[in-house]
Amino acid sequence: MLRKLMKHEFRATGRVMLPLYLVLLVTALGANVSTRGLLESDNRMLDLLGMLLVMAFSFALMGVCLMSMVVMVQRFYKNLLQDEGYVMMTLPVSVHQHIWSKLIVSAVWFAATVVMVLLACMVMAFDAYAIQDLFRGFGQLFRDISQHLTAYYTINGTAFFAELLAVCFLGCCVVCLEFYAALAIGHGFPNHKMAWSVLWFFLLQFATQFLGGALIVLLDESWLHHLLMGWTDRIQFSGMGAVHLMMGMLIAGELVYGAVFYFLTTWSLKKRLNLE
Amino acid sequence: MKWYFSDNAPIYAQLVQQIKVGIVTGGFPPGERLPSVRDLATEAGVNPNTMQRAFAELERDGLVYSQRTAGRFVTEDRAMIEQTKKGLAECHIRQFLESMDQLGFRREEVIALLRQESGKEELGNGGSGM
Amino acid sequence: MAVLECKHLTKQYGHVTALENLNFSIEPGHIVGLLGPNGSGKTTLIKLANGLLTPTSGELLVCGAAPGRETRAAVSYLPERTSIPLWMTTTQLLDFYQDFYADFRRDAAEEMLQHLNIRPKQRVKQMSKGTREKVQLIMVMSRAAKLYLLDEPIGGVDPATRDYILSTIIGNYDPEAAVVISTHLISDVEKVLDEVLFINQGRLVLQSSVDQIREEQGVSVDELFREVFKC
Repeated sequence: MLRKLMKHEFRATGRVMLPLYLVLLVTALGANVSTRGLLESDNRMLDLLGMLLVMAFSFALMGVCLMSMVVMVQRFYKNLLQDEGYVMMTLPVSVHQHIWSKLIVSAVWFAATVVMVLLACMVMAFDAYAIQDLFRGFGQLFRDISQHLTAYYTINGTAFFAELLAVCFLGCCVVCLEFYAALAIGHGFPNHKMAWSVLWFFLLQFATQFLGGALIVLLDESWLHHLLMGWTDRIQFSGMGAVHLMMGMLIAGELVYGAVFYFLTTWSLKKRLNLE
Repeated sequence: MKWYFSDNAPIYAQLVQQIKVGIVTGGFPPGERLPSVRDLATEAGVNPNTMQRAFAELERDGLVYSQRTAGRFVTEDRAMIEQTKKGLAECHIRQFLESMDQLGFRREEVIALLRQESGKEELGNGGSGM
Repeated sequence: MAVLECKHLTKQYGHVTALENLNFSIEPGHIVGLLGPNGSGKTTLIKLANGLLTPTSGELLVCGAAPGRETRAAVSYLPERTSIPLWMTTTQLLDFYQDFYADFRRDAAEEMLQHLNIRPKQRVKQMSKGTREKVQLIMVMSRAAKLYLLDEPIGGVDPATRDYILSTIIGNYDPEAAVVISTHLISDVEKVLDEVLFINQGRLVLQSSVDQIREEQGVSVDELFREVFKC
C-alpha cells in the first residue's frame, strides 16, 4: 500500500514540481544568453532585457527552493486535513503509511531540487571554454585524488561533505515533519485550526531551540563531557575527528527531533483527528 | 409504466395495487415474464425489499408465479385476471359511492347522474392508467 | 452478523455531548435512513463508523470489529462534502480507487460515467457541483462493500440529480450489504428505505420499518418525522 500511496503522491506533486523545474531551466538558459551577450551590448533595451533575464533566473532559483518546501507542506495539509482528508483518511491504510509516503516523496523532491539547482547553475554558466576548463579541472582533481587517495584530508574532506549533505537533507525532512506535527496538532482543535497550527509551529520551534541550547549548556563540564574528553585523550583525537563527532551528533540530534515530530503527527492524526 | 405513491398506505400495498393494474390492463400480459425485482424497484424508485414483498403478496394471490431459475411470470389463468379486474373495479366503485354518500346523493340520483355523464362523453372508459 | 452495531455509544466534544448511549444494529440487505434534524448527531455517527473520530465511551462495531484499517476495506463512504481530489482526471480517479480498494468494480464505474457523458480526460475541477457529487457517488457505489455510509447524498442537488442518485443506490443494491443514508429530506428518500432510525439531540428516538410506520400510524415517515420533531 505504501508503494501505491507514493505513486499517487508523485502524481500529485509532480504536477507542480516538474513545471517549476522547467521554468528554472528556461530562466537559466535566459540568464546564460544574457551574460554571454546582452549585458555587454550597447543597445540599452537589450541591456535592460539582459538584466531582467538575470533577475528572473535568481527569482526562479529562490522560488524553486522555497516552493519545494511549500508544496510538500501544503500537500500534507490539503490532502489529509482538508476536504480530501475524508477520502484519504478512510483508505484502508495506516497513518504511518500516510506519513511515510508523504515524507519519502518530499525527500525525493528535495534531493531533486538540489540536483536541478546545480544543473540550472551549470546551464547558466555554460560556455564552451568554461566547460573545457571545468573538465580539465575535474581531470586534475581526480588525478590528485587518485594520487593522494590515502591522504588524510581527501578522505576526511569527502566524508565531511557527505556528512554535511546528510545534515542538510535530514534537516529538510525534519523541518517538513515539524510542519506536519504543527498542522496535525492544530487541526485537532475544533475551531481556529490554522491559528492553533501556527501557534504550535512556533511552540515546537521554540522547544527545539531551547532544548538544543539547554543541552549544550547542561552537557558542558558534565559526565558526558568528561567521558568524551577521556576518550579523546585515550585514542588521540584529531581535529578532523572532532568535526566528524560533531556532525555525527548533529545527525543524531536531527533524528531525535524527527522521531519526536513523527510521533506527535501520528498521535494527533490517530487520536485527535477532527475534519471539518 | 408510471408509478404513483400516496402518503397514507404502506408502499408494498401500493405496489401490489399498481402491478395488478398493470396485469389487468395488459402492461404485463398473461404468461409473460416479469422484470427482475431489482429492475422493477429501480424503475419505481422503491426499496428492492419492498418490491420483493409486493411480489410475494402477488404470488400468494396466485396472480404471479415464480420458476426457480427462469424468474417470475404473470399467471396464464385468464379467469383469475378477469376476476382481479372486477375486484379492482368494485374497489373503485365502493370508493366512489362512499364519496357520493358524503356529498349526500341517494343511489338513484347517483345512477341518474352517471347515465347523464356517460351520455355526454363518447369515451369508452377502459379505466387504464388509473 | 450485524454490519453496523452500536453498544452504549457516546461521543462528547469537550463538554458538548453529540451522541448519548446509542444502541442499535443494522443487518445486511437493508437500506436504512438515518433521519434527524440538523445537528442531531448524524454526521458524528457516520464519522465514528469510519474511524474519523473515536468514541468517548461505549463501542461501535463494523462487521464485528472496531473501525480501523480492516473495516475501512469493507466500508464505502460518501462524505457530506465533495472530497475527491479536484486536480484528478476521471481516469486518474478510477486508478486511485482501483489501487486502494480490491472490491472496486472499475467496469461498473466506467459504464456509469459513460452514461453521464463524462469524458475520461475531464478533470474534476472542470465539473459542475452536481456532476462532482454524482462522480463521487459513482466511485462509492462501484465498490462491492459490506457497508455503504452515505452522508447527505441528496442535500443541495437539483431534483433530476436527486432521482439519479437514488436510482443509482437502488440499482447497486446488494442483499449481502447494508446502506445507511443520512438525510433530513425524508419525503425524497422514503420509498428507497426499508428501515429508519430517528435520532434527536444525540439520542435514538425510533427504529422501525417504513411500512410498519405506515401500517400502524397510517402516516408517511415524513409526516411522522414532522410530528416527532415539531418545534
